[in-house]
Amino acid sequence: MAGFLQQVVEGLGAGAVYASLALALVLIYQFTGIVNFAQGELAMFSTYIAWQCVAAGMPFWLALVVTLAVSFAGGMLIERVVIRPVEGAPELTIVIVTVGLFIFVNAAAGWIWTFLIKDFPNPFPGGALEAAGVSVNWSTLGVLGVVGLVMGLLYLLFQHTRIGLGMRAVAADPASARLVGIRVGRTLALGWGLAATVGAVSGVLVAPLLFLEPNMMGGVLIYAFAAATLGGFDSPAGAVAGGLIVGVAETLAGAYVGFVGSDLKVGVPLVIILGVLLLRPQGLFGRAAVERA
Amino acid sequence: MSADLVVEDLTAGYGDAQVLHGLRLTVREGEVCAILGPNGAGKTTLLRALSGMVRTRGTIRLGDAALTGRPPDAVARLGVAHVPEGRGTFMPLTVEENLRLGAYVRRGPDVETDLERVYAYFPVLRKRLKQAAGSLSGGEQQMLALGRALMLRPRLLLLDEPSLGLAPIVTRELFGIVRTINEEERTTVVVVEQNAHLALGVAQQAHVLETGRIVLSGTAAQIQADEQVARSYLGYRV
Repeated sequence: MAGFLQQVVEGLGAGAVYASLALALVLIYQFTGIVNFAQGELAMFSTYIAWQCVAAGMPFWLALVVTLAVSFAGGMLIERVVIRPVEGAPELTIVIVTVGLFIFVNAAAGWIWTFLIKDFPNPFPGGALEAAGVSVNWSTLGVLGVVGLVMGLLYLLFQHTRIGLGMRAVAADPASARLVGIRVGRTLALGWGLAATVGAVSGVLVAPLLFLEPNMMGGVLIYAFAAATLGGFDSPAGAVAGGLIVGVAETLAGAYVGFVGSDLKVGVPLVIILGVLLLRPQGLFGRAAVERA
Repeated sequence: MSADLVVEDLTAGYGDAQVLHGLRLTVREGEVCAILGPNGAGKTTLLRALSGMVRTRGTIRLGDAALTGRPPDAVARLGVAHVPEGRGTFMPLTVEENLRLGAYVRRGPDVETDLERVYAYFPVLRKRLKQAAGSLSGGEQQMLALGRALMLRPRLLLLDEPSLGLAPIVTRELFGIVRTINEEERTTVVVVEQNAHLALGVAQQAHVLETGRIVLSGTAAQIQADEQVARSYLGYRV
């Protein structure tokens, strides 16, 4: 039993990372209806910025603040420069643009920082918390705590601020949002900035567990897609729940399903994506639109 | 300072198709102006031109503010509230959130006062505060749309077919409230309406639009008495 709990806890730790990238995906999808394939690469690039700051001698937490600020500005800039020109274009066009952005950011990171792996500092203390026969790494707890904090802040932003209300209005109906005086373009840019920031958190959290290199987020992105699909692409809370479920499912499958082992673990999110699309396309927490004709 | 709406040589359209051909009209501050006409005359396009939703040429002024060429959000910030066709409701958001969005460009404590004022006009909305706007009935949604527009404290209120899809009794109630709002708040109103009887009942003046041109203008009483209009839009022979 303790062994099982141990696996669940580790799954939650991994899941929290997927959850934060899934959250970034869902944020952009809600605002623009765009599935941003470059989200993982943007997170990776942000992580490199954090690494660079630390390498330049900054304390970790200061480096994190700088990274989040740069990511926010970068996200807004990308919306203005790359996404704005194709706004309203067919979905396929936009998908291709985000795939192009994926390749561009990946190559840029390789060009600036090379493809050699780098060690990324772990901000949390080593060791573990022992309770009820289960030992939980401080870094797992730290990851869960940070993702919980991000969730809480986003909730406050969306439910209890004027800007958050404006953002939800734009997500619901951009044309009507314009009519009540909301600057829609600025709000969309804000959404991209926010998503890039949330994504950056996931990159910084995952980097100490993996190694920092330009292809670091490729696998995480697939898990994040599974999480967003499972939770529902229109539900931020669903994305987080989906991330945690995917993390636990992946860990448990690796530990208890003989043929999966550690080699086929990456197949788990794909099975989840397929299963959800077949059985409940709007996801666990997605809303079928409430609307009277 | 007067806040008359002055429109001169207004042309507007979509892509290559020009819909409005040189309109000219004035609505004095505090008056209700009805725009009548058959389908496809350009009534909706006129409202869209006024609120910046379509490209226009010509002059649109509200008081000393030039509206021509401004995007809809800028026009809204100048105090123009447009209740569009389809009502512009934010379906997934709650009734209260929809109303607060109406006051998005304003700040300050009087937003709470204005919420109370809207609930006084539309008591049913108070009962539905936390409900998703998409779950309201058609009539309630139209009330919500009007309430949302009032939250802006508009200098100019644009209403596009408020009667569309509503039961006659609900429509009459709604026009009664439009009249009250106009009388109590001195809000200038431009209302586009198929139901000419109702529209002429609240309006001081009216214009009849046909294929993008004004073919007849006058006081509501004059238009009501006009034989041609009666035959075409009021549904009976004089």
